[in-house]
Amino acid sequence: MNSKKNDLKSLELTVGDVFSKNARLKARNVNVFYGENKAIDNVTIDIGNKEVISFIGPSGCGKSTFLRCFNRMNDTIDSCVIQGEISIDDENIYDKKIDVVPLRARIGMVFQKPNPFPKSIYDNVAYGPRIHGLSENKEHLDNIVEESLKRAGLWQEVSDRLSSPGTGLSGGQQQRLCIARAIAVSPEVILMDEPCSALDPIATAKIEELIHELGNEYSIVIVTHSMQQAARVSKRTAYFHLGKLIEVGKTKEIFTRPKHNQTEAYISGKIG
Amino acid sequence: MLCMLLKNTENNMNKKIINPEEATNIVKNSIVKRRSKDSRLKLFGRAAIGLAVCFLLFLFYSIFTKGYPGFFQYYVTLDINFDRERIDPKGDLSDNSLFDGDASAIVNESLFSIIEPKGRKEKKLAKKIVSSGKDVRIAKMVKDDPGLFGTVTQVKFALDDDIDSFLRGYIKRETPESERRINDKVIGFIDKLNEEGRISYEFSDYILSGSASGNPEMAGIKGAFIGSLLTLSVCLLIAFPLGVATAVYLEEIAKKNRITEIIEVNINNLAAVPSVVFGIMGLAIFISIFGMPRSIPLVGGMVLALMTLPTIIISSRAAIRAVPPSVRDAAYGIGASKLQVIFHHVIPLAMPGMLTGTIIGMAQALGETAPLLMIGMVAFIVDIPNSVVDPGTVLPVQIFMWADFAERMFIQKTSAAIIVLLGFLIAMNALAVYLRKKLERRW
Repeated sequence: MNSKKNDLKSLELTVGDVFSKNARLKARNVNVFYGENKAIDNVTIDIGNKEVISFIGPSGCGKSTFLRCFNRMNDTIDSCVIQGEISIDDENIYDKKIDVVPLRARIGMVFQKPNPFPKSIYDNVAYGPRIHGLSENKEHLDNIVEESLKRAGLWQEVSDRLSSPGTGLSGGQQQRLCIARAIAVSPEVILMDEPCSALDPIATAKIEELIHELGNEYSIVIVTHSMQQAARVSKRTAYFHLGKLIEVGKTKEIFTRPKHNQTEAYISGKIG
Repeated sequence: MLCMLLKNTENNMNKKIINPEEATNIVKNSIVKRRSKDSRLKLFGRAAIGLAVCFLLFLFYSIFTKGYPGFFQYYVTLDINFDRERIDPKGDLSDNSLFDGDASAIVNESLFSIIEPKGRKEKKLAKKIVSSGKDVRIAKMVKDDPGLFGTVTQVKFALDDDIDSFLRGYIKRETPESERRINDKVIGFIDKLNEEGRISYEFSDYILSGSASGNPEMAGIKGAFIGSLLTLSVCLLIAFPLGVATAVYLEEIAKKNRITEIIEVNINNLAAVPSVVFGIMGLAIFISIFGMPRSIPLVGGMVLALMTLPTIIISSRAAIRAVPPSVRDAAYGIGASKLQVIFHHVIPLAMPGMLTGTIIGMAQALGETAPLLMIGMVAFIVDIPNSVVDPGTVLPVQIFMWADFAERMFIQKTSAAIIVLLGFLIAMNALAVYLRKKLERRW
């Protein structure tokens, strides 16, 4: 009874349209605790097929934590407890029967700091297909690597030095390498955790352009600090505050006519 | 009192940030003092390093000056008539036949023809001039080259250790005969050999190829060296995989709870346990309970492995902890399983650090004496061990034993063995540095 009341309260709290017609990922009443601390409070949201959605909000509002729930990266933190339901194509990813390895192959992730493996560029991209056995032979693997690098917009820059270390690239190139690495395992969803926060404006512009293109093929969830970035790359935007999902809506509407006064305060620079 | 304190804080609170000019002045005034403190620290540091280098140089100087002569010894050259009938009576070069032969007598005859001893007593003294290994040497020579039979060839024989000490000047001619280990007659013989140019000072062919021996002139370190090598191999093969596996389990797989905490504390405690305790444990478990033979490198290696395990575990854990979490995230993020993350990323990146810890542990094990005494590797073993189950000893124990012997010549041999041990250690460390450099990828 009590929980139902909470549901309603949450739905009351979240302004805008949390549901999506062709939802790929569905989060229902998700709570996340770090030990005693409640990091995410009763969040419900849909993420549509081939949709670019951005999570914005002030530091520490839990948007990264929430993002990491989608591919169960929070599993690696011992004290982290997740309640509620998150499903991909109506399959609960926190079900005991679900193996996290294939799940993460379906839901790729790009991290805040570019983190290529200390291996060659080729091996970085080929690592995923290799461990999942996605390639039939060497030639096939070569093709996967080339195609992934092309989609990540990195092929032209690195095609002549695939065997040189991935960590020797510039920050922006490294981040695109990480995107290529995520693409190489053919995921359905790509989660991006502030992918541009460590990059200069030119590299950022390139990544944004890339996200724009990739949005035609993958569902992309991007966490960002920059409202401009959210406005540029995403069609939908979700605003988080203190672990609560305050408002979800079309990006244009959020930035021009926010319905919730907290959202308005944030985008006009009063909090954050 | 409390009142004053309150007032004080009030005062401080009333004080505002001092103005920039004043601040600049205060900083300027304090700079001399700060600089002098800096330079004093530098000076102390340099003095400490200088002192350490001095001690080190002194150590090396004393070891090398004492040990260098240990690699050399005095030889006498004699003309040997290789008479097959007498050396190899059965004519088949078998050990039996050579043992029945009379090689010693041939050597003695050749010696007597030079120094011409008179009477039984003198002959008895003269026989002792040449080391007792002479027949073994001739047997080995004819085995290597049977063509020697029928010829008269000059052969070098080691001199007895007392003669060696006399030639080195440790036994002095001026000392009264009654207090000397060799009497005037023998000195006369040596003088005669010297006049004939028969005595030479050469690189010892026993020190590196010989084994433990009661005759110091024939003692060598090969047995102990091989023993050390075998023992360390066993130690490495057991301790490295076990240590790395433990570290990986504790760092990557085990949940942090009370049990792992207790294990962690106890591993740290084990690192501080005196090594002799491990020796007693080895004696109690491996030898008493499992009934393994004493004095074998296998048991020695197992005991040393127990001793080095904590060192390897602690350094491996530190190395694993130093692997950036972003790499783990990246691997987990594309769906690597735990095993794949560990074997593809964590272990390769932690390997240089793990190796450093292992080498430190191995170096410790190489120099360890006490636990090996407990399991009987201190026995007098002449045969060079061929496998880990042959009885043997190790370099530090050999040094320990030689240092205990009374003969003067063992002092030089001890120092020579120490040099070899140090050489072994340096070679091991060099290998470690090389491996580190090779595995460390600075990308």
